[in-house]
Amino acid sequence: MNSSHTIRSIQDNIALVIKGKAHVIEMAVVCLLARGHLLLEDVPGVGKTTLAHSLARSLDCSFKRIQFTSDLLPSDIVGVSMFNRQKQGFEFIPGPIFANVVLADEINRTTPKTQSSLLEAMSEAQISVDNQTHPLEQPFMVIATQNPAEYHGTFPLPESQLDRFLMRLCIGYPTPEEERKVLDRPYSLHPADTLEAVLSAQEVLALQTRVDQVHMEESLTDYLLAIVQATRQSELLSLGVSTRGALGLSKAAKALAVVRGRDYCLPDDIKELAPIVLSHRVMLNRTHGMRTQSFEQAERMVLDIVETVPVPV
Amino acid sequence: MPFDQAFALSSVLLATMAFSGLVLAQSVPFWLALPMVIILMISALHAGGVHFIRRAIARVTVSPTMWNILLIGAFALLLIDLTVVSRDLLPAGIHFLVVLLAVKLLTLQQRRDYRHLYAISLMAILASAALTSDAWYVPIFLLYLITAVWTLLLYHMTQETGDTAVGHQTIPIRITRHFFWLTNGTVVLAIALTLAIFFLIPRMGAGVLQKTSGEALRATGFSDRVDLGTIGSVKQDPQIVMRVELPDQPAVDKDRLYLRGLAYDQYNGQSWTHSGTRRRSLSLVAEGTFLVRPAGSRSSNSLSGSVRQDIMLETLDTAVLFAAPFAELVSGEFLEMQADAMGGLRLPASPASRIRYSVISQAPQLAADERMASALDYPDAILAHYLQVPMASQHVADLARRVSIEATTPFERTLAIQQHLLKNYSYSLEADTATLSHPLDEFLFTRKTGYCEHYATAMVVMLRTVGIPARLVTGFLATEWNEYGGYFTVRQRDAHAWVEVYFPHSGWITMDPTPTVSTAISTSRWAPLTRFGESVRLQWDRLFVRYSVKDQLAVVHGVREGTDALRERVSRGVSLLSAPIGQTLSRLMHMVRTFHLGMLELITGVIVVGSALFLLMLRDRIALWATTHLPTSHPELAIVQLYARMLRMMERHGVRKSPAATASEFARLVEQEWKAAAPIVANVTALYHQGRFSQTPLTPGELSRAAEQVGQLQSFTHVVR
Repeated sequence: MNSSHTIRSIQDNIALVIKGKAHVIEMAVVCLLARGHLLLEDVPGVGKTTLAHSLARSLDCSFKRIQFTSDLLPSDIVGVSMFNRQKQGFEFIPGPIFANVVLADEINRTTPKTQSSLLEAMSEAQISVDNQTHPLEQPFMVIATQNPAEYHGTFPLPESQLDRFLMRLCIGYPTPEEERKVLDRPYSLHPADTLEAVLSAQEVLALQTRVDQVHMEESLTDYLLAIVQATRQSELLSLGVSTRGALGLSKAAKALAVVRGRDYCLPDDIKELAPIVLSHRVMLNRTHGMRTQSFEQAERMVLDIVETVPVPV
Repeated sequence: MPFDQAFALSSVLLATMAFSGLVLAQSVPFWLALPMVIILMISALHAGGVHFIRRAIARVTVSPTMWNILLIGAFALLLIDLTVVSRDLLPAGIHFLVVLLAVKLLTLQQRRDYRHLYAISLMAILASAALTSDAWYVPIFLLYLITAVWTLLLYHMTQETGDTAVGHQTIPIRITRHFFWLTNGTVVLAIALTLAIFFLIPRMGAGVLQKTSGEALRATGFSDRVDLGTIGSVKQDPQIVMRVELPDQPAVDKDRLYLRGLAYDQYNGQSWTHSGTRRRSLSLVAEGTFLVRPAGSRSSNSLSGSVRQDIMLETLDTAVLFAAPFAELVSGEFLEMQADAMGGLRLPASPASRIRYSVISQAPQLAADERMASALDYPDAILAHYLQVPMASQHVADLARRVSIEATTPFERTLAIQQHLLKNYSYSLEADTATLSHPLDEFLFTRKTGYCEHYATAMVVMLRTVGIPARLVTGFLATEWNEYGGYFTVRQRDAHAWVEVYFPHSGWITMDPTPTVSTAISTSRWAPLTRFGESVRLQWDRLFVRYSVKDQLAVVHGVREGTDALRERVSRGVSLLSAPIGQTLSRLMHMVRTFHLGMLELITGVIVVGSALFLLMLRDRIALWATTHLPTSHPELAIVQLYARMLRMMERHGVRKSPAATASEFARLVEQEWKAAAPIVANVTALYHQGRFSQTPLTPGELSRAAEQVGQLQSFTHVVR
C-alpha cells in the first residue's frame, strides 16, 4: 500500500467539500493517524461539523453524531443495560459512542457530568457500564466541536477533558474566493453526503501502526521535552503542559511525518504542531478567574515559548 | 590518538621547535633556557595526558589577572634588558619572546591561547632565522614548517568538531595513520612543488619591490663640471644609492670604503672640470667582463691585494659607475663600457633600471722609496695636467708654503697640508659657497668651515702650488656596514669628494683631508633593526631578482634536455630511464648546493607564508574535504558539519539562522533574503534532514553531493563578496 498516496487521497477527498482549508484538513488527518481526538473550536457556521462529517465519510467506517444538549445524559452516549424479557437478563444496548468516528457536536452545551462520560472512551477506548467493560471498535476517534463566542448555557470543558483531545483546531473564515466556491455549489444535498469513502478501517489501522514506527531522533525528543519544560517554567502560564501533552505532541509529530511522506521526524514537525497540540492544555496567568481563555491568546503564548527553545543542529 | 590530545601535543612540539631554533642560534642564555626546557617538558607531559601532572597543574592554577601582571613584569624586564643588560633590541626581544612562550605554555586553556602560542613561535623561528645562517637551521625550519601545518590542521579540525557536538556529548575522533600520512605527505609535496616553482617560473625583473624604481635618483657631482658647494645639498639625503658587498674578504676594513666616481683636474676658482673628455671603450676579456687598464703608470710591486666588490647600483641619472680605486676588471651585463683618461668608468648611457656589476680593484700603496724621496721626477704629461691652479691663488700658495715649510719630502708636504686642513678647519654643512666668487679663499681664510668639496679643493690647490700633482675625485664614502647582510649601504648623503696625489711609481694615492664625516650619520638604537630590514631587501634582490632569467633558463634547458633525452630513450629501454632524471636532479642539486645558504632560508620562509596563506584560502575546502573523506567512526557527523559550515558561510553573507529556527525555516528565509543561494541551501537542507534525523545514513555519493553543493556556495559567496 502506498501510504503517501492514500493519505493524499483522503485529503483531496475532504478538500472537495471544505474549500481552501488544506492545513486544517491535513491536521485533522494527522490527528486521525495519531489515534488522537480532535476539538474544533470556532464560531458557528464555518464548517466544523462539515469537516468532521467529511472526514468520517471519507473513511469506510461507522460514523455517529451526538448533538450535545443540556439535558443529555451519560447513558444517552455510552448506552444502557436494559432487561431483556426473552433472555431473562440485562442486555447492554450500546450508545452512539460505539462507532469509529463520533461527532460530539456542541460539546460544551451539555453538563460536565455528561461530558465526563466521554473521558474513559477517549483515553482507554472502552466503556464501563454496570461493572462491565465494553471495548470500542478501532479506529476510534472523537471529533468535538464547540463555539467559543457564546457562553450562555454552556459548560466549559474541564482541564481533564481538554487534555484528552490531541489537538484543538480553529477553522477560520474562508477567503472570498473560497467562499464563492461554497456558494456556487448545488444546495440540494449536504455536501459531505456526496463523498465516497476512500479508506477502509483496515487501512487506517495500518497507517496508525506506520506512525508508531516513525523514527524520532534523540535530540528531537530532547527538543520536544525542552519545549514542554519551557511551558512549565514560563511565567506567562499558570499551568504547563502535562506528560500526556508531551506524549501527544510526540505522536502527532510522528503522524505529521507520515502525512508528509517521511519515516523520520524533523524539528519542523514538532515546532509546527506545538501550538495546535499544546495551547489548549495550558492555562494563562492572570486570567482573573476568567475560566474561558481565548484560543488565540493561548496559541500566541505557546508560539512565543517555542521561539525561545533552540532547535538542535 | 584522539584529536584533542594530538592537537595539544603538536602545539607543544611547535613551541619546542621554535625554542630550539633560538637555542641553536645561541641567543638564549642558560639561565633562561633551563626553566624553559622544564616548562616545555611539563607542557608535553600535560598535553600527553599524564595524570599526576594534570592534577598538579589543576591545583596550581593561577588567575588570568596574575598572568597579566606577570606579563607586564616581563615587559618591564624587557625594557631593563634593553637599556641596561644587553643594550640591543634583538637579544632583548628574544629574551622577551622566550618568556612569552613560557607563559603561554603554562596558560593554554582557550583556543585563543593556542593562536597566541603559534604567533609567538612564528616570531621565534623568524628571529632565529635572522640570527643564524648555520646549516642546522634548515632541518629545524623544515620540521617547524611541517609541524606548523599539521598543528594548524588539527586546530582547525578540533574547532570544526567542537562546533557540532551532536546532542550533549562530544564525540572523540581518533587520528588514523592514513590521515596522518596523507596530510603530512601533502605538506612535503607542497614544499617540493614550491622549490620547483622557484626554480622554473620566471619572475619579475629588477626593482619590482623598490619604491624608487620608477624615477632615477638625482646624483650630484658626477657631471663634466662640478661647482663648489653642490655636494652639500645632498648631504642629508638618506636615499640609498647603492649597496656594495665584499665577498670572500672577511679581513677588509669595514669602517670605510671609498667608491670612486670621476676625477677632475681643472679648477677655475669656482668649479672643477676635466680636460680630457676623450673616452675609450674598454676591451672585453670575457662575456660581460671588461678590462680596465690602469690609468696611471704603476709598477707592479706597489700593488696591494685586490678587492672584489659586488655592487648593486640604484637607478641614477648618471652613467658613471662607481668602484673602489682602481678598477681593474668590471663585469656586468653591459654591452659596452667606457673609461676616461682619469680612470672614471662610464656606461654609454645612464641605465634605465637598477644594475648590478662586480669590480675587482687594486688599491695602490705608496712605495717606501717614494715616501722617503726628497724629490720626485714627475713625467711631463702629468705636470702639464695636474699643476694647474686658478688665477689669484697667491694667498693659497703662501699658506701652502707656510704649512709645509718644515717638510722635506713631497710626501711629508702632502701630509702637512692634509694635517693642516684636518686640524684647523671644522666640518659644517652650513657653508653655502655656491654663489661666492672665491669660495676657496672664503673657506681657507674667512669661514674656516666647509665640507668635503672645500677641503678637497683646498688640498688639491695647495698641493699644486707647492708642485705636487693632485686631482679632485668625487664619489661615495661608504661607512654604513650592514652586519646582517655583509655589505655597505651607500646613501646620497655619503657623497664625497677627496684627493688623489700622484707619485711617479706608486700612481695615484687616495688622500682625504676631510675630518671624519661619520658624525653626520645618526646612530640610534633602532639602527640595527633598519639595517636588518635593509639586508632582507638586499637578500631578496640577491636571491630572487639576481637569480636571473639566465639561471632559470639553465634549469629549464636542463629539464627540457632531460625530457628530450627521455623521449629518445624510452624506445631504447626502460633501464636507461633514470639517467636524464638523475641528470636533471643532480643539476638541481648542484644549483641548490651552489646557492647561498641564506637562500634556502628565504625559500622556506616564502614557503611558510605561502602555505599559510594557501591553507587560509583553502581552509574551507580542506574542512569540506575532511568532513567527507576522513574515516570517522561517526559518519552521521559529516553532514552536520557540512550544514554547520554552510550556516557559517551564510552568516558571513549576512543571512543568519536564529537558534530557534528550524532548518526548513532557515531555507525559507534564504529564499527571501538571497534568492540565488536558495536552491543550494534547499538541497543541502534536504540532505541534512535525511542524514541527521532519519535512520538511513547518507550514502557517500549523497555526502559528496552535499559537500559539492556547499563548495559551490562557497565559490558563490566569494564571487558575491
